[in-house]
Amino acid sequence: MRPSRLGSAVRGTLLSLVVAVMLLPVYAMLAVASASDATDLGGLGFDAARFGEHLSQLFGQGGFPLYLRNSVILSLGVAVLEVVFSGAAGYALAQLPFPGRRVLFAVVVGTLSLSPIVVLVPMYLVVRQLGWIDSFQGMIVPFAMSAFGVFLVRQFALSLPRELLLSARVDGAGELRVFLRVAVPLLRPALLTLFLLQFLAQWDNLLWPLVVANRPGLWPLPVGLSQLQTEYDFSAGLVGTAALVTAVPPLVLMFVLQRYYVAGLTLGGVKK
Amino acid sequence: MTLTVRLPGPAATVSGRGQRWAEARAGSLLALPAAVYFLVFWVVPFAGAVWLSFTDYELAGVPAWTGLDNYRRLLGDPGFWNSARVTALYTVASVVPSIVLALAIAVPLSRPGRVNGVLRALVMIPAAMPLVATSMVWSAIFADEGLANTLIGLVGIGPRPWLTDERLALWALVIMTTWKHLGLFVIILTAGLQGLPSGVFEAAAIDGAGPVRIFARITLPLLRRTLLFVLVIAVIGAMQSFVPAFLLTKGGPAGATEVLPLYLWATGFGFERMGYASAIAMVLLVAMLALSLVQFGVLRGGDDG
Repeated sequence: MRPSRLGSAVRGTLLSLVVAVMLLPVYAMLAVASASDATDLGGLGFDAARFGEHLSQLFGQGGFPLYLRNSVILSLGVAVLEVVFSGAAGYALAQLPFPGRRVLFAVVVGTLSLSPIVVLVPMYLVVRQLGWIDSFQGMIVPFAMSAFGVFLVRQFALSLPRELLLSARVDGAGELRVFLRVAVPLLRPALLTLFLLQFLAQWDNLLWPLVVANRPGLWPLPVGLSQLQTEYDFSAGLVGTAALVTAVPPLVLMFVLQRYYVAGLTLGGVKK
Repeated sequence: MTLTVRLPGPAATVSGRGQRWAEARAGSLLALPAAVYFLVFWVVPFAGAVWLSFTDYELAGVPAWTGLDNYRRLLGDPGFWNSARVTALYTVASVVPSIVLALAIAVPLSRPGRVNGVLRALVMIPAAMPLVATSMVWSAIFADEGLANTLIGLVGIGPRPWLTDERLALWALVIMTTWKHLGLFVIILTAGLQGLPSGVFEAAAIDGAGPVRIFARITLPLLRRTLLFVLVIAVIGAMQSFVPAFLLTKGGPAGATEVLPLYLWATGFGFERMGYASAIAMVLLVAMLALSLVQFGVLRGGDDG
């Protein structure tokens, strides 16, 4: 059966229309960001000059640049730690026999079905016990690893070519050297996927910082934005601009690392 | 056979006891941070959540064992039942349309072609937008003089107070969530469809099967594993959803959008009733696990896919 040219043209047009509708709220973001006030939200016009004013206002006053900086520290911190430690643990679980390996793997698999909201209260109590309320370590360390990350790297590391690891050992490399020089380069796709997903997750994490960071000086963007809404001198357009600026880094990262993004999202859902 | 290689430093053997010891040592070293991390931040908190759910614990005091009191109180708590109902409604109402629509878009979108390649990249934009930023935009869209009212005005419907009307607020959240999930599910389903063996489809087409028949008899069964994955993450994601309700409506008006995670958060960190909040967390966990198992049972059926 060969699809007719007309049929495929109609289908293509329809599909483009559907995608355009899907992108309407994204475009609305631009319109909202250039709105003057709450009575100016209904249209789809974009006023570049006013948007520019909002931008300079936003970056000119105290709160927003600070939230942005805090978000960069939080997201980068979590993503880097996650790659280092989940990477190491995932490789060990896949390739190295060590005492307690089965127990650790069972814990990782068990943790996969838990979510932060379920352990929110006791996790808060643990962090309080550590004296980490109102600190970056209190925001970062509880997410410095993840069951998802360890599991992802382990699955990937299971298929590392054994001959390659073995020949490095024959050449006299110690185990840590085999890991760093042979395994890590081969694990790069998994580690990049992990970096990207964890960065995006922390960039958008509202619940945990809301619970552990009471001091505005520590707020990352999600908490900061949720407060901007209620500040009286913040117009609707300014809030929209803040939301727009917040959305830019994830979108850029997503396009640059598109392949890894799709790989991460489809993990487990697509038969390999 | 043992290969021994001379090195500066300790001798390395590739097989045999020395090598096994070296591997065990390196493995322990690499896994140690993870072992400590999972113990401190997941095992202990999980055990703590179970234990706290049987206690009366206000942040200022010490936990006092009260047995099943918290669970008994939950049964008679109208706030809890309201939240459970809101969460169930929100989950069903946002999961079903987002998966059906995503499938309808993904099937044509997964065909090869230059236009489709561009469209596939564009579909990722809503999925990659941070939920917090998305919520701010949608709260502007649903504002009194926002885009939603402009659009319904075009078809002659008067403006509605989307976020402050008890009957509408939850549906506003459902619309936003459906939209947000749609992009994500389209990406996953498209990847799943592209991974299906094309030979089966060609054979069916040669046998004269129409598109509807091919979809129902071949595409759907082959895509079952991907659909199951999407369904499970959709349901679990909706049941844990906190951000949209927190940012758009703060649970209001009159509890109409007070989803369970919001109720849990307010109980634990608003009223500082940690024991009771932990009981809510346990109910949420059991509900999520039970639903996941049911979905696996129903959709997986006999195959080991």
